[in-house]
Amino acid sequence: MFTRILIANRGEIALRIIRTAREMGVECVSIYSRADQSSLHTRMAHVAVPLGDGPPATTYLDMDKVIAAAQETGAQAIHPGYGFLAENAEFARRVSAAGLAWIGPPPQAIEAMGDKITSRQAMERAGVPIVPGTEEPLEGPEEAAVIAERIGYPIALKASAGGGGKGIRVVERVADLDGAFRTASGEALGAFGDGRLYVEKYLGHARHIEIQVLFDSQGNGVHLGERECSIQRRHQKLVEECPSVVIDDDLRARMGEVALRAGSSVNYAGAGTVEFLFEDGDFYFLEMNTRLQVEHPVTEMVTGVDLVREQLRVAAGEPLGFTQADLKFNGHAIEVRINAEDPAHGFLPSTGRLSNLRLPSGPWVRLDSAMYRGLEVGTTYDPMLAKVIVWGPDRERAIARMERALEELNVGGVRTGAPAALAVLRSAGFRAGDFDTHYLENLDLHAPAEWEGLAAAAAAVFRHKRAHRRALATTSANRDPWLARSRREWSDHARRTARREMPDA
Amino acid sequence: MKYFVTVNGNTLEVSVVERLGRLRVTLGGQPLDFSYEEADQLGQVVLFSEGRSYGVSIEGGDTEVDVKLAGYLYDIQLEDERERAAHAAERAATGGGGPVKSVMPGVVVSLCVEEGQTVEAGQPLLILEAMKMQNEIDAPQAGIVKAVHIVEGQAVAAGEKLLTLAAEPD
Repeated sequence: MFTRILIANRGEIALRIIRTAREMGVECVSIYSRADQSSLHTRMAHVAVPLGDGPPATTYLDMDKVIAAAQETGAQAIHPGYGFLAENAEFARRVSAAGLAWIGPPPQAIEAMGDKITSRQAMERAGVPIVPGTEEPLEGPEEAAVIAERIGYPIALKASAGGGGKGIRVVERVADLDGAFRTASGEALGAFGDGRLYVEKYLGHARHIEIQVLFDSQGNGVHLGERECSIQRRHQKLVEECPSVVIDDDLRARMGEVALRAGSSVNYAGAGTVEFLFEDGDFYFLEMNTRLQVEHPVTEMVTGVDLVREQLRVAAGEPLGFTQADLKFNGHAIEVRINAEDPAHGFLPSTGRLSNLRLPSGPWVRLDSAMYRGLEVGTTYDPMLAKVIVWGPDRERAIARMERALEELNVGGVRTGAPAALAVLRSAGFRAGDFDTHYLENLDLHAPAEWEGLAAAAAAVFRHKRAHRRALATTSANRDPWLARSRREWSDHARRTARREMPDA
Repeated sequence: MKYFVTVNGNTLEVSVVERLGRLRVTLGGQPLDFSYEEADQLGQVVLFSEGRSYGVSIEGGDTEVDVKLAGYLYDIQLEDERERAAHAAERAATGGGGPVKSVMPGVVVSLCVEEGQTVEAGQPLLILEAMKMQNEIDAPQAGIVKAVHIVEGQAVAAGEKLLTLAAEPD
């Protein structure tokens, strides 16, 4: 096993990896940008290496700097987390060429799965079911229109180099095709430097279900069951659970077998996820994520397998040491992502300085968080601040536990998507297990009417007290010459305090 | 002081009077059993009302306040009587139109309309990029683009005016 690894990431996932590594007696090297100098991953590592000021391109995404940081600190391996360089085959190659171990799948597997078009072709050859559509990049909106005519509307335009919901547009009718093509292509170009698009039949009420797989470098593979990730906003996951209410043992075994076949066909090693669309009992390959997923904790809670530990073991050349028959699924787990976003305004990003944190805890509640008071949430990095994960012996008790945890949570300074997740958990459709990837779009996200009056009264008193404080702070300074000096000092202090509380002042 | 408090689309009248340190609050003219204690300087407040206790978090300014209660967010707009009258006059002057503000910080990627153009409700006005996502900002109502306050490529802050719409004359 390694004695020291470098974590080429930030935020909650860097902490997640540090935690397991520390438990295994492996030291951790963090890298950080100037903006992250007081972040938790910088503080929790054994060694933290500054990568200078600047955007991700000159810090977390700068391959030379990251590899040099590993070499200078004597790290033997690099864990990329998710995002940033995690699915970059060139980086994986350069890590190996530098004599370091890569905690991830072989570069050829990343490449084969990284391009959505080549991965579709590869999966078709391996006998994995895929959604009807094109495999070649589209020439333009006209070609999309011809194919859409054949497979039928609605269709989805997707970025060939895409991921994370970027560069995806759903088109209901031919009139919208031109505009959708332009914005999707522009977004793909901006996000991935590649504006190519492909088209797929858009499944109207599909669920997003994915299978976690784990392979060692000797060719042994197991699946760790499914994750239900249908609760999404803006094509990005918000609530995930394991198991899914629509997957029984037989289906799980079949999907697991297909997922393992997908992985084997590209000589996969390490942890990976095969995503499927599931509609009316049929499942179609969507893509394979060649990395650890954000939502991996729900699998960990139900299987008892620490996926980061397995990643490290596989990267160090160890065999899995267990088989499919050794894996048992116990109870039910749910994860809610805490993103800095505003559910009341279409989940657009929310920025600010974190204050006023109250974090959930207690039995079977896990918090994977990068939050601390004073954290500046901007638009440079991903808006995900934390994940709340709960376990319960059954789905009903897991839901009740998550409701309780979200009631405890308070994040001040920015708005988060947590209230929307709470609305999902309390909705009849979710509780009945009857939902698809559009479920959240149609949900009423208003806070309950029951407390409207109380909230209104509290807001009015809040304003009243602000006005009162302001009045005290301004008049007291001028009143009495004998007291003017001390008053002024007090008033300066009051104004400073007031400014802290009132970011708009 | 009387306030008009809008929450979930409903406007409620709340009056707050403090006499000798005692708070009297009425809601819709009815006295409310209510106490308000600040737990810290950051916005954590303990409310007592009708025999129940609530740990809430309150943040914001004079006219926009976020009240977080039991995991929910109440997005609240406040007006006093003077502000309410001023807003009503402003609405009358613009014929029901008004500014379209950015709800997030971002960069204007492209502008889809120009001054003087007639737009339908839901028609895209501009494309704003934030966190690598391109977001279409749509017209909240039908009308005429009275003014464009931004140019393509410009970075905008949350709350910044993008365009001003005027209602279409009949």
